[in-house]
Amino acid sequence: MVDISLATKKFQKEMNAGTTSLVLLNVLSRSAEPMYGYQIAKLLEENGPDLPLTKQGTLYPVLRSLEENGLLSSMVEPSVSGPPRRYYTITPEGREALKEWLEIWKQTKKFVDTILKG
Amino acid sequence: MFNTIDQYLEALKNEMQGSDSALLSDALADAREHLSIALAVVREKNADVNEADALKTIIEEYGTPEETASAYQEVERRTSPSLKQTAKPQSWFVRFFGVYADARAWGALLYMLIAFVTGVFYFTWAVTGLSLSISFAIFIFGLPFSLLFLLSVRGLALLEGRLVEALLGVRMPRRPLFSHQGMKWFDRLKALLTDKATWLMLVYMFFQFVLGTVYFVLLVTVLSFLLSLIVVPFLQGFLHEPLVNLNGARYFIPAWSYPLFVLGGFLLWTIFMNTARGVGQLHGRFAKWMLVSE
Repeated sequence: MVDISLATKKFQKEMNAGTTSLVLLNVLSRSAEPMYGYQIAKLLEENGPDLPLTKQGTLYPVLRSLEENGLLSSMVEPSVSGPPRRYYTITPEGREALKEWLEIWKQTKKFVDTILKG
Repeated sequence: MFNTIDQYLEALKNEMQGSDSALLSDALADAREHLSIALAVVREKNADVNEADALKTIIEEYGTPEETASAYQEVERRTSPSLKQTAKPQSWFVRFFGVYADARAWGALLYMLIAFVTGVFYFTWAVTGLSLSISFAIFIFGLPFSLLFLLSVRGLALLEGRLVEALLGVRMPRRPLFSHQGMKWFDRLKALLTDKATWLMLVYMFFQFVLGTVYFVLLVTVLSFLLSLIVVPFLQGFLHEPLVNLNGARYFIPAWSYPLFVLGGFLLWTIFMNTARGVGQLHGRFAKWMLVSE
């Protein structure tokens, strides 16, 4: 028997793989101040669809990998209460990449929409 | 399901067994940061909320340990190694002289300087604490004293880890992963005594005395030697001070060798910077091996 829910989960994961990077880069490019993970997650929750597409925990590894590729930079700052927070900022390379990614996104969206409409 | 954040972290750690230790420490740090902020936010709204209930909803949004672990492993698998290896191989010339722009080399120099001070302090602390702990053992307050001493060793090891990460760029734990919160002090002492990590940290504190001294002597010797190489031509040219003054017999270096002296000084400095970077990397690996228990 084919497990459809498992296949759906896998599909969702693959869909999120690229879009999460795009969304995170976009959020940080619009923010004037450096943001930490929880702030970003809250912002996405407020503006996102009723049903969250991703778990908040999956944002963090993507933030880290964007930083590793030089698209974001981060610094850790101690907080008054609790553990220190990692603040992320977009780098000039990140802004460059975002421009190209948005173009790719537009074209992909157009292509998929066209095909789906038939 | 999870009553405290620590339980979640423990489950996440189990879930990520076999992953790279740096990836694991990233995941644990991120989860701790997010969960404690979220918990603090909930508590702000409703002071007498049950921690376990609050955590249930928070974790529902954050993801189960399995989901979180697989997200980190997934991203790691996708990014490495194709994107990590974008750094082009550089010629030895660029690598050799590029050391001046390498923060790690300057960090290593600073570390070699600081290691002398911290090394002496660690050694004094370890010897004093150890001998007092042993001699106090016959008294009733001997056990609490040794507990305090061992806790201070763990604390100092964490501090040294922060120093190593900041200056040598080797990833070290950001905070003690396992607290003994809620344990009776006698059990805590037993746990500390039987933990191999405590003893390795103590040995590291002794080693640091020797290493710190060697680093410091090396740094000061080479630095003063190469600085004199660079300065000698200027002293002789402007102030007419000789290279050597032996009982009134003054030895000057010929004017044509001035540039050679300065060049030699800079070359030696560059070589030393490269050496320092290497030593720093080695020391970082050593520190990680001694201070981070797997």
